[in-house]
Amino acid sequence: MIVDFNTAAMVAIACWVTASLSGVFARKIPVLKLFSFVLSLAGSVVMVGFIAWYWSFLERPPLRTLGETRLWYAALIPLVGFLVEYRWKIGWLKYYCIALAGFFLSINMLHPEVFDKTLMPALQSPWFVPHVVVYLVGYVLLAASSVTALHNVYLQLRSKERATGESVSHYLALLGFVLLSFGLIFGAMWAKEAWGHYWTWDPKETWAFLSWLAYLGYLHAYRYKIDRDKLQWYLALAFLVLLVCWFGVNYLPSAQNSVHTYTQS
Amino acid sequence: MVGVRRRWFQAPWEFRESALFTVAALCTGFVIEYVTSGGGIALPRLPVNAIALSLFAMLVLSVGLGFRNTPAVKWFGGIPLGLSLIFGIAVLSLIGGILPQEVVVPGSWPARFGLHKIFSGWPFALVVLLFLANLGLSLSWKLIPFKIQNLQFILFHAGFWIALSCGIFGSSDLQRFIVPVEKGKVNNVGYTMDSDTPHQLPFSVFLHEFSLEEYPPQLFLYDPHNDKLLMDKSRGTIEIYKGATASWMGVEVLVLDYMPSALPGQDGIPHPADRSKGVSYAKVRISSTGSLPREAWISTGSPFLKPAAAQLGNLYLIMAPGTPKAFRSAVTVQNDQGHAVMANLEVNKPVNFMDWKLYQMGYDEKAGRWSTLSLIEVIRDPWLPAVYLGFFMIMAGNVLFFWTGIKRKEVVS
Repeated sequence: MIVDFNTAAMVAIACWVTASLSGVFARKIPVLKLFSFVLSLAGSVVMVGFIAWYWSFLERPPLRTLGETRLWYAALIPLVGFLVEYRWKIGWLKYYCIALAGFFLSINMLHPEVFDKTLMPALQSPWFVPHVVVYLVGYVLLAASSVTALHNVYLQLRSKERATGESVSHYLALLGFVLLSFGLIFGAMWAKEAWGHYWTWDPKETWAFLSWLAYLGYLHAYRYKIDRDKLQWYLALAFLVLLVCWFGVNYLPSAQNSVHTYTQS
Repeated sequence: MVGVRRRWFQAPWEFRESALFTVAALCTGFVIEYVTSGGGIALPRLPVNAIALSLFAMLVLSVGLGFRNTPAVKWFGGIPLGLSLIFGIAVLSLIGGILPQEVVVPGSWPARFGLHKIFSGWPFALVVLLFLANLGLSLSWKLIPFKIQNLQFILFHAGFWIALSCGIFGSSDLQRFIVPVEKGKVNNVGYTMDSDTPHQLPFSVFLHEFSLEEYPPQLFLYDPHNDKLLMDKSRGTIEIYKGATASWMGVEVLVLDYMPSALPGQDGIPHPADRSKGVSYAKVRISSTGSLPREAWISTGSPFLKPAAAQLGNLYLIMAPGTPKAFRSAVTVQNDQGHAVMANLEVNKPVNFMDWKLYQMGYDEKAGRWSTLSLIEVIRDPWLPAVYLGFFMIMAGNVLFFWTGIKRKEVVS
């Protein structure tokens, strides 16, 4: 099993590394451009295939442990990079995305999964997959938004042109916010079915609400035409709240009573 | 925003005044909380809360529509105050997200300021009320005159207003009780989480049967001196099935045989038995360095049968029952008028009875799958439909938001 994961991860990383290298050389040799695109896509396809296989093997969606969520990020983050390149002709983001995906896969290779098929009854729900997938995609978009914003901050400090970058970070944040809202509401409706109430201020819920508020605040500040340069700082830092929500909650004093702490692995 | 620096309170008011206002609201809340010794706020119940909320909504709407050009009202419904109040709610949520809630040291200063129940305290109530007023005013201006391009704004903001206000004003009407029922018996009283006072319910619950399914048992090496379970090489849990292997430092274990349900015969060797009485048995071969391989039967045990473990020097190879996969109660729920419903309660599959919802909550965990006690939670929340209406409006607004976001992307590219 671990061997299988390692093989899949190695193949995916090899695809991405080769794709990135040939992407760099594609400026001089245009033929490499298509080759690079196909290869980087192949890396994601390998990961998606592995997740599908792993899902059927576990007989439950692989979305329960932190390690399992990292698998999904590894498969999906590069896709956002390609999408941004396709839409806005911004090439650099995909290299960052690929590096991040490779980083997630490496963590999983260094810490083999706790291999456990069990799924507690409260998680056996039709809400499980939509709730987590919507959040995953939302986080992926907001991670990309945060990095774009950080890139803009860097360009600001070196006083370069950055108009396109600003709209990219903005639209990624906007789409991410929409998905966060869905995740929050799906979560509330699931909680009603599983625990009897849609909102109990469980620490994870509180932090999910906080991250939602952070982006709600951003959208209103943007709308009010607050200095866009300052807002790039805001977007770059807003992701920190999401990180606390994703895994930081486990380490806070409030987590002792939470129903939401991930199985550590 | 550029040019000459504005003086404090110079019209039109902006962020500075809004921030000051929010801080003042927060301080007022904390002062009230301190003076009342962290008592929190007790909301009225139906119908008083519904009447209060309707009056509040009407007040906000009429002020918004009647004084839409008054500078003070414009400021009260504007983005600067909205943002400041969002920030205020975020600060309170941050406190609630870091400090454990409902854990109190009576008389301590965090308790006096209500920091352990931040979401039912005065600061939260005040800031949320002001936020609802702010949101309501901005909503009134988009509602009338109605324009189709404002639909996304209206759906999202009205949805949020309804969900937030009904969730908070209606929280006093939420009733939730735990009803313990023994197999073959009936119960019509419930208890709240934090008190032993029984509450009479308008219906009774009869438990026909409680059943629990488990995942396969797991193999562990137990160190009794340090009361620790030792992880094997794979650092995972080891599910028991025929042919399963595990290895610890210098110890190799192979499962030769596995019986999910068995009882020991007179010779001590287990034979398959009925699930209601039997326990899980496994025959294992243990090979450790420096000694000959040996075979042993180990079992999970039950309330009626001691578990069997294999001794390995100072350690024990034990078999732990699998974690619960599903548990359910077959019940009949009946009210005083004789209206009765038979149902299977299961986690994630609640059942409706009149305006109550019944949930499978727990069982006697010491007895595991032999439990004859089922804990059923019964919940009544008359405000739920309103909150869900808000949720659906937010989602509908978001779909439109997503759509326009995508469409605008084309313009950018």
